[in-house]
Amino acid sequence: MEASLPRTAQAVFPAEREPKAILRGRRPRPEYQMSLGERLLLGRLVKRDEEAFNEIVRSYSDRVYNLVLRLVGSPSEAEDIAQEVFVTVFKSIESYRGEAKLSTWILRIAANHSKNRIKYLSRRRTSGQELRDGSDATEMADEGKAPVQAHFAAPDVMLEAAETERIMQEAIARLDEEQRLLVVLRDVEELSYDEIVEITALPEGTVKSRLHRARMALKDLLEGKLK
Amino acid sequence: MTAPDSHQRAAEAFSAYVEGELAPAERARLDEHLATCMQCRVSLERFRRTVGRLGALKRTAPGDFLAGVQAQINRRSRGRFFAKRYLLFGRIPFEWLSLAMIVAMLVYYIVVLQTSPTGVVPGK
Repeated sequence: MEASLPRTAQAVFPAEREPKAILRGRRPRPEYQMSLGERLLLGRLVKRDEEAFNEIVRSYSDRVYNLVLRLVGSPSEAEDIAQEVFVTVFKSIESYRGEAKLSTWILRIAANHSKNRIKYLSRRRTSGQELRDGSDATEMADEGKAPVQAHFAAPDVMLEAAETERIMQEAIARLDEEQRLLVVLRDVEELSYDEIVEITALPEGTVKSRLHRARMALKDLLEGKLK
Repeated sequence: MTAPDSHQRAAEAFSAYVEGELAPAERARLDEHLATCMQCRVSLERFRRTVGRLGALKRTAPGDFLAGVQAQINRRSRGRFFAKRYLLFGRIPFEWLSLAMIVAMLVYYIVVLQTSPTGVVPGK
């Protein structure tokens, strides 16, 4: 059975894409091919099938929320932005052309929304209306939540994990916006370099060198702060 | 090699080293340097631990996240999508309810007309 694929979601013919990739100094990557299941799901999403959309939110909400949380630092802001990401996905699913994985497309939207919110928040901070340094990390600590891995551990282990998370989050917040995104995509979300290139639109070499600088900066920021 | 620039060169290769992406010759050169340089060994260990700790920073979305997204879409689409569903009957089917009411009224009208001895509907 051939799945009916919406015209807007059809992948661009590979021959049209490669020259652009070469011009931008990017190594041409293999064209992404959607599976039959993904095509069917996409068809339902384009028709605004509510159950299909629920499936998407259930599948990606944790990754999107965690990405946004690490970028903006505040759980309440993160929830708000992550919800906004899925509203955007619902509204503009037609613009997904199937050139990359659906998850990559959704994470790109999440990264863009987060960047915009960071800019907005920093404008508010510089205009003196809001927040002292590190208050977002404090908000996370005040929630009393530890990372997922520590949820079933003893209380002292949970406390230590929460403290480690707070210190790590403070250090991440000190990186510049781009370094933060690269570190979170690669080391927190554990995405491949191909996916990161898709999300950031940076050449792979640039991703690697900037990521390395970000990791070194983090290492220095954490010196003496963690056991 | 223990000159300051050799430490610098070693540090620059940490990411590729940790990710196993160094060419064999470069890897061998770095291993050789690490074998004699305590400072770089400590630095590499701290680097490795930092990267490893980042992988543990996982949080799940709040429990009511899906409901929140649905409520946002419902509000912005002015009720077109994700309308509230009721437990027993799902969404109240107002279209079908109004059609059923019209049919019931029609049936009542015909029955009353037929049972009236004068054939005149009461009230006319």
